This record gives sequence, C-alpha cells and structure tokens, in this order.
Amino acid sequence: MNTKTARIGAKDLVTVGIYSAIYLVITCALAFLSLIPIMYPLMTIICPIVGGIPFMLFLTKTKKFGMITIMGILMGLVMLLTGMGYWSLITGVIAGLLADLVWKAGRYSSAKMSIVTNGVFSLWYIGNYMAVFVTREAYFQHAVESYGQAWADTIQTYLPNWMAVVLLIVCFISGLVGGLIGKSLLKKHFKKAGIA
Amino acid sequence: MSWELLSASKKSKGVTLDPRTKLIVLITICFLVLGGEGGGLALVTKPMLTAIPILLLFCFGKKKAALVCVIIYVTCYLGEQFVVPVTTGATNFVLLFLCGFISRVLPGLAMGYYTVRTTTVSELVAAMQRIHLTEKLIIPLSVMFRFFPTVGEEYHAIGDAMRMRGIRFGGKKTVKMLEYRFVPMMICSIKIGEELSAAALTRGLGAPVRRTNICKIGFKALDIVLITFCAVLFILTILRKIGLLGVLA
Repeated sequence: MNTKTARIGAKDLVTVGIYSAIYLVITCALAFLSLIPIMYPLMTIICPIVGGIPFMLFLTKTKKFGMITIMGILMGLVMLLTGMGYWSLITGVIAGLLADLVWKAGRYSSAKMSIVTNGVFSLWYIGNYMAVFVTREAYFQHAVESYGQAWADTIQTYLPNWMAVVLLIVCFISGLVGGLIGKSLLKKHFKKAGIA
Repeated sequence: MSWELLSASKKSKGVTLDPRTKLIVLITICFLVLGGEGGGLALVTKPMLTAIPILLLFCFGKKKAALVCVIIYVTCYLGEQFVVPVTTGATNFVLLFLCGFISRVLPGLAMGYYTVRTTTVSELVAAMQRIHLTEKLIIPLSVMFRFFPTVGEEYHAIGDAMRMRGIRFGGKKTVKMLEYRFVPMMICSIKIGEELSAAALTRGLGAPVRRTNICKIGFKALDIVLITFCAVLFILTILRKIGLLGVLA
C-alpha cells in the first residue's frame, strides 16, 4: 500500500466502484419486491440488512476520509438515472458524510463503530421516500397513473407524514442489524479467506 | 442473454451521438416519462420521448428490438387509453398496472440499453472529463459500470450452483440462502475487482499526470437538436409547474 495515506488514491477509488456495484446489484434485486404495496415501506428494513454484508466488507478496506461519501454520491447518481428522483442524491451525500465522520471517529478499525457506520449510511435510503412526503400530491397523482388507484391508495395509507421519522429510525436500526450480521459473516468467512 | 454492458470495442454503425447527449436524453426520459405527471402536454411529449430511443435503436441496427418496442408500446398505450376505461374491478387493476407500468418503464429501458451498448468505457470517461467531473467520481463510476455485468454473471452462476445443492426458496436450506449465496459471490467479485484494479493501475490510472484519451467526442448537429429538444421540454414542464401555461395543462 501507498504510505501517503491521507489522500484517496486510484486504488481506493476502484475499491469504491467495486463495492458500490455489489451493493447496488443486491439492493436492486430486492427493490423489485416493492411493487407489492406492503413491501414498499418494508424495503427500509430489508435493504439495509442485506446491504450490510457488502458494506461491512467495504469498511475493512476503507481507511481514508471521503470514501463513504463518494459511495453515497454514486448511490444518488444511480437512483437519479433509474428514475427514483433526485432526493437520494442529497441524502446520499449527507448520510455518506456522516458515516465517514463516524468511521473516522472509530479510527477506521473499531468493530462497534463499523456497525454504527452501517446504520448511519443506511439513512440514505430515506431519499427514495422523500418524494412521497415532500411532494405528496404530485407523487400520488403520478402513482395513480402508473400503478393504478389501488396501489396508490394502499401506499397512501401506509405512508402518512409521521412515517418519515419512523422510516428514518427503522433505516438506522436495520442498518445496525445488517452491520451485526455482516460483522459475524466477516468473522466466519472473510477473515479465514484472508480478505477482510 | 448477453451480460455485456459497456462494450470494450467500438462497433461504429449509423449515427453516432456524444455520450453527454445520451446521458441528457436518458435523464430527461427518467424525469419526464418515468417520474413525470400525465395529462395535457404529457400526452404529446411522452410518445415523442419514447420515439427517440426507439429511432436511435433502429438506426443503430437493432431493427428487431426497435420493432418489438414499438409493438409493446403501442399496445400498452392504446390499452391504457381505450381498454382500461371500460373495464372494472380486478381486470381494471391488472390492466392499468401492466399498461401503465410498461409504457412508463419501456422508454427508459430502451434508452438505457442504447446508451450502454453504444458507449465504450473510454468514451464515457472522455465525456466525463470534458464536463470537468472530478477524478474521484469518474474512476468509481467507470469501475461500477464495468463491474455490474460481472456481479450479475457471478450472481447467476452461484445461484445455479446453490440450487443444485438444494439452497433455494422452498428448499430445505432457505434460511441459509443469504449466507450461502452472498458470501461466495462477494469473494468472487472481490477477486475479480483486485485483478481489475491491478490492470487499471498498470495502465497508468493512478498516475499524477493527466491521462490522454484517443476517443473523439464532440457535439454534432443531431446532438444539438436533441439537447435543445430536452431543454425545451424541461422548461415547459417547469413553466407548467409554476402555473403558467394554463392552456396546455
């Protein structure tokens, strides 16, 4: 490794790209489930938990400030291009930056802090729901046209405004759970294989 | 099915667009077709925006794919306009869901497919350098796009291997699926990723000097037409949002 560890090098950037790809493939495969109305808010539980596995592995390679932020920006850009709206770009940057700070406080090695980092980073998922809360009427008008009245009505009842806070907390908690699962898998498999 | 996303070599056929134009059109479609509102103006703009990627696909030589897109889109569009209003109950729900969903997703998918099939990694990098995106985003982005097909491929291969061992939905080891499928997939991907990063570094990716790029990109007449068209659509949508243009809304 490079001894000048302060700045992000090309190798780190490649690492970010690789883990972002794994993270996105896993979450996108799950995101198709959200066509079923009840699964839509439940995504905040499933995605952080499953995404926690690659993310924890990513953290073992993250030793520099800013890498998680870049990952957050990438998530936002991909969401923008896949038509999920621009909110994810904003939440991606914020959650990424916060996660970077937490991980820095853990000196890039603390086991406990890595779990918290996953929790904080998982907060970016809220960006996919922001459109519902902020521009509620426009969103549901669009939803009625795209998915039919029944789907939109069900989502409407599942997502009153106070749910924004609940979803945020749920994201964080399931991020913690995902972090724990990821950590135990890391211990079981990746340490043995010499990757983590 | 080919998993190739961004092709490595250039197959020059028909019209060529600047990668930036493709991205602008893609974003426009995502915003206005996938996420946009219906009614009024959108009745005209949505079919127009759908026509762009289909025409581009046609010019690229994907005549069959373009034709299939047209048939699917027209069926859904007509279904949405004429069949849906006369049905009721469950049939209505299913039809509306199918037609509405497909006619909204199809243009984005077609444009996305066209973009990734006609853009090489080098061109994408050149285009991103031209818009002065920082290297900190260019490298991970290009790696990510290069890596998506690899992950997908590995995911399917491992899925097949695990199904043979009874690790699947409804099998005896459903609970173990998460662990038994993701862990090998990640180990594979990481190995490939390390090789990829070594290869990229050998080609001078991390060098402190500015990299040169052999790709010639630039805006031509068609690019300008498309970009202007997208800009006009965006302006009209914004005007409509703030209440002007009441006639069209």
